[in-house]
Amino acid sequence: MLEIKNLKTRIGDTEILRGLTLSAEAGEVHAIMGPNGSGKSTLALVIAGHDDYIVTDGTVTYKGQNLLDLEPEERAREGVFLGFQYPVEIPGVNNAYLLKAAVNARRRHNGLDEVDAFEFLKLAREKMTALGMDPKLLNRGVNEGFSGGEKKRNEVLQMTMLEPSLAILDETDSGLDIDALKTVATGINTLRSPERTIVLITHYQRLLDYVEPDFVHVLSEGKIVRSGDKTLALELEDKGYDWVREAVTA
Amino acid sequence: MKQQFLSIEGVRNAVRQMPEDALTPVREAALAHLDEHGLPTVRDEDWKYTDLSPAIDISNRWLAAGARLATDKEIADSIAAITASIDADWLVIANGIIDDSRVTRSNGLDVSRFSERPEEFVIERPLANLNAALLRDGLRIQVSAATEKPIGLLVIDSAGAATGVSQASIEIDIAPGCDVEIIEYQASVGENDHYANSVVELHVGQGASASYVRVQNRGNVHVQTGRLSAALGVDSKMSFASYDLGGRLVRNDVEINMAEPGAEVNIVGLYVAGESQHIDNHIRVDHRVGPTTSSQEYRGILNGNCRCVWNGKAIVHDGADGTDASQANHNLLLSDKAEIDTKPELEIYADDVKCSHGTTVGQLDEAALFYLRTRGLNKRRATEILTHAFAVDIVGRAPVSAARDAIASMVESRLEELVQDVVL
Repeated sequence: MLEIKNLKTRIGDTEILRGLTLSAEAGEVHAIMGPNGSGKSTLALVIAGHDDYIVTDGTVTYKGQNLLDLEPEERAREGVFLGFQYPVEIPGVNNAYLLKAAVNARRRHNGLDEVDAFEFLKLAREKMTALGMDPKLLNRGVNEGFSGGEKKRNEVLQMTMLEPSLAILDETDSGLDIDALKTVATGINTLRSPERTIVLITHYQRLLDYVEPDFVHVLSEGKIVRSGDKTLALELEDKGYDWVREAVTA
Repeated sequence: MKQQFLSIEGVRNAVRQMPEDALTPVREAALAHLDEHGLPTVRDEDWKYTDLSPAIDISNRWLAAGARLATDKEIADSIAAITASIDADWLVIANGIIDDSRVTRSNGLDVSRFSERPEEFVIERPLANLNAALLRDGLRIQVSAATEKPIGLLVIDSAGAATGVSQASIEIDIAPGCDVEIIEYQASVGENDHYANSVVELHVGQGASASYVRVQNRGNVHVQTGRLSAALGVDSKMSFASYDLGGRLVRNDVEINMAEPGAEVNIVGLYVAGESQHIDNHIRVDHRVGPTTSSQEYRGILNGNCRCVWNGKAIVHDGADGTDASQANHNLLLSDKAEIDTKPELEIYADDVKCSHGTTVGQLDEAALFYLRTRGLNKRRATEILTHAFAVDIVGRAPVSAARDAIASMVESRLEELVQDVVL
């Protein structure tokens, strides 16, 4: 599904990813953990196609094609989804309108008819209820005046409506209380499927209690420095990131 | 264009060749005022950014060619389409000539001409003098009871056959306690040069309310100047919304006189300017007594080599304690060739007042643009959505509900057109 080889990127003059290599197959859930400033969000934004980040070396292959050649909207239509760490507020753009436009952009790309407006709203309301969201949020501006938790749920809502092949969730757990975390995790788990890859970027092990990863990677100073199964997350939680840094320098 | 000067001789000839009627003395008085004061130039503070030379050039050529009003019948279709798009009682001024055949007269609505009762009307203001000098006749509307439908004022010109100039002058008097909705729609067709100049005088009686929407959707080769003066009575209320979508050179003056306590005015506006357009909005609110309340909020969307001007002034006169005045102007620039000159002005000569103002000039939010793109929308579509989002609030605040859908669809198609030209 996703094959990243020796990826190096910079923003301005600052090098952030310094030769990152990662491979994720369909059906797998990967967790990427790491201290602040290690490059986790950069990785997510580079995969989504943010043009502030210059790729200086390496390759990113998605379903066999060079992902870096595609515009952000083309990546989205091909099934790449990024759940933002800080979803932007867009007053004046109706939440339901965006959701529908996004779903239809993907459907048209796949040669499908646009969704039926009535069926679409019904489905969106069902998914919102399951995520513990007030369906009234559909009629508000995108994320406008949403609480931190509502913004994160809205990202997960978009993801479940778009049914991506590759979903990257950037700190979707931050800012959620334990009950919200459980509902959001349930939402993520419903998307687990043999055709789909989910990458969870997280600072804490907490989310991984509810969405069990197949692989855990530790990112430090722009590289994956350690990979393992879910027990690696527990070890990290126990020993802290200094343990990884020491291990790397040693 | 080099600074042009109006041919007063030409205006005099045009005035003298009009058939003598009840308005002749007013035309002569206006001509004398025009002769003495001339038209504003960029040396006048209020006209610093707007050079009327294109309007003067068109006027001079039209005067030299015999100062004839256009008579093309080609606007009949446009009139039919516009009057059908908004459910209102339509009064039409086509090529400077009043047509009141569509209006349903009721007990509360009286429509007449200035010539029937040539009492004083505004001539001593910039461009109002030109308007009065060349005016065939003015439209007087008196409202003494709530009307069933909004009053529609369609000012439309055709510039298909020759260079044209037209004047429209409208006086509206709203009796105490009446609630009235008004839609002023400025339009033009044809590719020849045209200059339209309009003057509207509004009196809002005690406890009355006026909801006034002004839509300017002229052809993008045409020139338009317009003045709206309103006097508000005790405890009266006015809601005004202005939408400028067309025109090559456009100048709007809105003057609100608040000389009675308890009056309130809320003004909103949207201007959309593309390549080669120049749109200038000047608003002046005089708080002569307190308590009175005014708010102004305009939004502008600019693309290409264009220029917009916004000047919102509130003057709180000595003794107008209890005044509440706010002004805001926000601009979205879609091109680095677009220019906005924005200036909120507060002049305060009273002690107990609440005033605020703010302006912003910005570009599209890059983070929002990226967010939309990651949801599968291409750059142009994302730009269109964000541009629309910037305007939508002002569209929603059109105080005449019968006009809102029509305005929304006009704004939408204008923005779609504008975004097509944005360099991405």
